[in-house]
Amino acid sequence: MDFRLTEEQELLRNSVREFTQQYLEPIAGEIDEEGRYPAEVVAKLAEMDWMGIPYPQEYGGAGADYLSYCIVVEELSRACASTGIILSVHTSLASWPIFQFGTEEQKKKYLVPLCKGEKIGSFCLTEPGAGTDAAAGTTTAVLDGDEYVLNGTKHFITNGPVAGIYIVFAMTDKSKGAKGMSAFIVPREAPGLKVGKHENKMGIRASQTAEIILKDCRIPKENLLGQEGQGYRIAMQTLDGGRIGVAAQALGIAQAALDESVKYSKERVQFGKPISANQAIQWMIANMATDIAAARFLTYYAAWCKDQGLPYSKEAAMAKLFAAETASRHTSKAVQIHGGYGYIKGYKVERLMRDAKITEIYEGTSEVQRMVIAGNLLR
Amino acid sequence: MSGVWVLGERREQTLELLNAGLGLARELGTTVTAFAIQDQGLAKTYIECGADTVYLLGSLAPEQPLEDYVPVIVDVARQKNPDIFLISATPRGKEMAARIAARLGVGLGSECTRLRLDENKSLVMERLMFGGAAVQTVVCLTRPQMATIPPRTFEPAVPLANREGEIIELPAPPAGKVRVLERKPRVQESVDITEARVVVAIGRGVEKQEDIELIQELANVAGGELGCTRPIAEELHWLPENRYLGISGQKIKPDLYIGVGVSGQIQHISGIRDAKVICAINKDENAPIFEAADYGIVGDLYAVVPQLTRELQRVLKK
Amino acid sequence: MPRIITCYKWVKDEADIKVDTSSRQLTLDRVGYKISDYDRNAIEEAVRMQEQHGGSVIAVTVGPPSAKQSLKDALSRGPEEAYFINDPSFAELEPAQTAAILAAVIKGRLEYDLIICGEGSSDLYAQQVGPRLAELLGIPCATYVNKLALEGTRINVERKLDDGIEKISLPLPALVTVLPDINTPRLPGLKQVLAAGKKPVHNIGLKDLGLTCEVTLNTTGILAATMERRRLRFGAGNEDIRKVVDALLKEGVIA
Repeated sequence: MDFRLTEEQELLRNSVREFTQQYLEPIAGEIDEEGRYPAEVVAKLAEMDWMGIPYPQEYGGAGADYLSYCIVVEELSRACASTGIILSVHTSLASWPIFQFGTEEQKKKYLVPLCKGEKIGSFCLTEPGAGTDAAAGTTTAVLDGDEYVLNGTKHFITNGPVAGIYIVFAMTDKSKGAKGMSAFIVPREAPGLKVGKHENKMGIRASQTAEIILKDCRIPKENLLGQEGQGYRIAMQTLDGGRIGVAAQALGIAQAALDESVKYSKERVQFGKPISANQAIQWMIANMATDIAAARFLTYYAAWCKDQGLPYSKEAAMAKLFAAETASRHTSKAVQIHGGYGYIKGYKVERLMRDAKITEIYEGTSEVQRMVIAGNLLR
Repeated sequence: MSGVWVLGERREQTLELLNAGLGLARELGTTVTAFAIQDQGLAKTYIECGADTVYLLGSLAPEQPLEDYVPVIVDVARQKNPDIFLISATPRGKEMAARIAARLGVGLGSECTRLRLDENKSLVMERLMFGGAAVQTVVCLTRPQMATIPPRTFEPAVPLANREGEIIELPAPPAGKVRVLERKPRVQESVDITEARVVVAIGRGVEKQEDIELIQELANVAGGELGCTRPIAEELHWLPENRYLGISGQKIKPDLYIGVGVSGQIQHISGIRDAKVICAINKDENAPIFEAADYGIVGDLYAVVPQLTRELQRVLKK
Repeated sequence: MPRIITCYKWVKDEADIKVDTSSRQLTLDRVGYKISDYDRNAIEEAVRMQEQHGGSVIAVTVGPPSAKQSLKDALSRGPEEAYFINDPSFAELEPAQTAAILAAVIKGRLEYDLIICGEGSSDLYAQQVGPRLAELLGIPCATYVNKLALEGTRINVERKLDDGIEKISLPLPALVTVLPDINTPRLPGLKQVLAAGKKPVHNIGLKDLGLTCEVTLNTTGILAATMERRRLRFGAGNEDIRKVVDALLKEGVIA
């Protein structure tokens, strides 16, 4: 057993830290406030080879492992959770299914520009009536000659307004339920694809979330990903990997909460001594650090399992569940440590607390993670 | 052994080194030798100010760099075996000192801020390391004991009565491999910040370039000059580079330093540590500057600076 | 096409140094290490020169065996191979020794046109290794350079000095030490990080050098820098500001 990261992973972590210090920390508060997509930072992520970390260099990726990808999401999220999820959705929800289920042609045409960061990826599964119950989706795909015609509305789509490539799930045979769902690669320029309403979110406000409306949207039939009817399986397997990314995001948020709490509690003087001298504060910080260490081990372990080719569905669910609840609980504690200041816009912990909540919701709520874990144990 | 030698790039630096050298020579019971660059008048001044011997370095051709003196100086050092050799730590001085030390095969203390002799009459040098966080004490095991000394570390030597000494002319050095193409003297600012009695420094706590006006007013009322931290000059270019204070910038010794929105990175503190009084204004009560300050005002500079300016105006009747 | 050598030092990160204020002792046991800040500029300048003119870039470092950690870091920044001169006795070298070791390695083993060093190291900041190395190799040098341009068999540089800018021209081979404002070092991309481990590293030990590094400086102490200051605190209220101004008047520092 070796708990050390490789030299390459350590170097990567250092460069992400320098990157966030230089490009992200100075703007994170502002882009949150304005709800502005940090296009200039995303362009730089591509220059750093971070847009296709776990994919082979022949497809434009960096050819590193999934753990390296987690480190990048974690460190980016430590500065700006919005940027963390932009990269996570792009990498694990949009690029991965093409890498895993795509044909060689599909990889050349779609995975390469994603890995190079020339296009941003997005994942369109959720519908107004189909969240956790993804198979209840009503979007349809009908084969018409050499084209599929897609109709329906996807919502809460991360990267929706900025993506160039969408992985869209639609029913090719409604009568079969989950087994009648198929996955498609839909380019932004496909006729009939429209970005609908933008959501005004509580947190991760710099990541763009919108409706994607498909109205007689026509795509070539070779854009079917995998086989007809495989969609639900593709979606679930993709989400397994995505959850590791969200766990890394939550981990980064929680770590930032700890960093801020340590710093503030040593600086803030009340009754003539720094508040860190109080046991109440010390205990909060000790609990925070312990939970974060546990979340980190779970997250890195899930990534390691994926890298080793071992099953990771349960491990990913555990990592996401624990990291998300850690982030939520301890960002709230961090606000508590900051007292009134923590409730004020401009203090980082205020943003962290809003950003943390979503990690318990998207890519499977905490309840879904428990279902997945229990399902793995009780089957 | 031929005593204490000093080499300064310019007159004022040579006089400062002479002062330091005279003190050491007195304790060692030896003589002081200075180098004068191309100027008989300077050689005489150095003798008046305490030098027993002055080596007058011959003229350089216009395209010859000052560093071409290295072989000439090394030759005479080999012949005469000085005991101590102090060189001013200007950029050219530092390069020359390192090259002379390499040729002589001896050690060199860089940018020493304190000198003393120990019980064995060895030169003990103090210098900063780790960006100014620590003081390193070093002793040279070889002779001459060499050190470079930052300008203004010592007061300049003053003329003494009835001084006599010997001026020895050294040959002009032959051209080396390096050719000077052009010299662009720094545009002299009306005020040299190292001469200012009061320096008001701005740091990253100042949000916008326009806000400098507010701090300039304070400086005006206090009769001071504006200085800054490295990022203000080198990254933001809000003030000229010769205004930044720190270990790699200007080192100042004013009566009063006021840091406005300066956090107090060790590299900056190293440039102001010799101020007589340090005053700091910062809203972060745990900014490191407060540890280095005599008077710390915890508060928003945008509220404190105008108040301070008004109050100074009142008491100074300006 | 220039064959470039760039020298760097693996140093303690001064930001991690803790100080015991009463004893003035430094606590160094939890410090991290880094490539000396100024040497990052040196590596970057070497790589930029190679991008412009072709040729090669070799990174050379001297240190204890633990400085092995620095190699992938340095190589990820662009040089194509590294010379790692190491011995347990190389932990606290003085500038004269570092220069002598570098000279011994470079003389016997490397062909070069240009050597680029940082202006000084971020730990000792003695600013001696560059000019000393040039002397030991018998080549011309230019220190405090903030611009350099290759012109055939010469290199033209701008030195930023205390009294202005000096433009000088040196025949190759030559050595320059560069200032931090000569460039902004790039952050290495992930592909470069991964490729670094595949680049050749030449290990050279003390016995391969046939050299005894004589000690010329004896460090008798390293203590935290302290300042005797009053450390009086005031608030932002009118009353407090008045007190501060009164105190400054009494000190005689304003008039």
